[in-house]
Amino acid sequence: MSDPYSSEVRALFRAPAHAGDLEAAATGEAGDRDARVSVAARLEAGRIVAMRFRARGCPHLIAAAEAACAALEGKNAVELREFSADGIRDRLAVPAEKTGRILLLEDAIRALGRQPDGTHDLESSRED
Amino acid sequence: MNASELLYLDYAASTPVDSGVAAVMQRCRETAYANPSSNHAAARLAQAAIARAAGQLAALLNVEPQTLVFTSGATESDNLAIAGAARYRAERGRHLITMPTEHKAVTDVFAALERAGFSVTWLAPGPKGLLDPADLAAAIRDDTQLVSIMYVNNETGVIQDIAALGGVCRERDVLFHVDAAQAVGKIPIDLSALPVDLLSLTGHKFYGPKGIGALYIADRPGCHVEPLLFGGGQQSRIRPGTLPTELIAGLGEAAAVAAARIDSDLAHLRALRGAFEAGIDAVEGRVVNGDAVGGFPGILNVSVADIDGESLLLALEPLCVATGSACNSKTQEPSYVLRALGRSDAEAQGAIRFSFGRQTTLEEARFAADHYRRAVAFLRGIAPREPAR
Repeated sequence: MSDPYSSEVRALFRAPAHAGDLEAAATGEAGDRDARVSVAARLEAGRIVAMRFRARGCPHLIAAAEAACAALEGKNAVELREFSADGIRDRLAVPAEKTGRILLLEDAIRALGRQPDGTHDLESSRED
Repeated sequence: MNASELLYLDYAASTPVDSGVAAVMQRCRETAYANPSSNHAAARLAQAAIARAAGQLAALLNVEPQTLVFTSGATESDNLAIAGAARYRAERGRHLITMPTEHKAVTDVFAALERAGFSVTWLAPGPKGLLDPADLAAAIRDDTQLVSIMYVNNETGVIQDIAALGGVCRERDVLFHVDAAQAVGKIPIDLSALPVDLLSLTGHKFYGPKGIGALYIADRPGCHVEPLLFGGGQQSRIRPGTLPTELIAGLGEAAAVAAARIDSDLAHLRALRGAFEAGIDAVEGRVVNGDAVGGFPGILNVSVADIDGESLLLALEPLCVATGSACNSKTQEPSYVLRALGRSDAEAQGAIRFSFGRQTTLEEARFAADHYRRAVAFLRGIAPREPAR
């Protein structure tokens, strides 16, 4: 049986720099029977200045959450609501049978984008 | 990651070949290469090597060498014993008994026999994984022909009371098969004193080579199996095919080594287990799956309900251990053995089997425990917080 994890998945899993909490931040969460992921973002002037996650699930989910948080920091907050996990899924070579886990991450991030705090900042960003 | 960086704690899956075993196999490869079924001097060297190995294995089990049939391993032995005995006794009755906690090499054969029209009773274990002999006695019917119960459970290390269970079968003239893949060479087994009719074993679980095993068939009336393979007269036609001399020689030598050191091996495993258990004592919420006191000391199965088993397995690297779940399968189903013990899906998913062996040191057992503690803390540290109630 070949190694189910790429070197990038292993690295992200072992050192998830974005795992943890953010105070006074908007949050989004999704889960099922076997896995759960929550994400938090601090927004300033319509931009994502910091993101954190918490996750319980397989290594691919944890690695994907770390990759997503790193990728979204610095981006326009509108990207939260429109987030698609397809790119990360392909980049991390997530097995097809784990697509459902990665969609949990997508759901959590989109839920974060719909939070009232996030909406305010999203509106501000559009005025820019 | 290369082999020198790994800490192998999966001895229940397979063991490294003993150096003495490897030397015997190499000598055999060089000197006893002839087909043992041939009729010349070179063949007689191979025959002598096989006879010696059969004697060594027979001595370990305290049986006559003629009662042993060499196979490719425990899976084939289980198939031959169960399907072969069921077919041999089919005219007497078609009811069979086993447990859902058996290895797939057993449960899948029973499932196939069910599809072929046999009736199978699946007896549930108690919370520790043990089968109550009274439950077995109550399940035996007039048409019951075969009972199959494993000696040491491969996932939990639970040791069944083979003497009592076999006694129940003997009283009712029911054949008793024991899958002893995890027991032979690891715990003392005296088949001359046990009411066992058929017993499966494999070499690679006790420091012998892979690809070789044996089935013990008691020499008593009514105890026989129909062959599964055809094509030659070897081994009284019960399991035809050219005998793999060097593998058999390796199996025999592994048996001789095990016989010489089985007590010291067990003492070593108890010390390792004690050190490991002391090291994980501080892990909150851990559950030992199986019989924590009376089980085989070389296998320890531990669950934590709030941790994903696959992530725990990766966080535990460089430890080479096994999950209680088929974590890389498409179904990600939790272990059917642990579910049968009453564990929740979450507990079964978070289960890890540690299995120790001759090469494991006390320092390694302590390191493994410390690593387990840190891995659990890491995964709990990044998990979503439980909502306030």
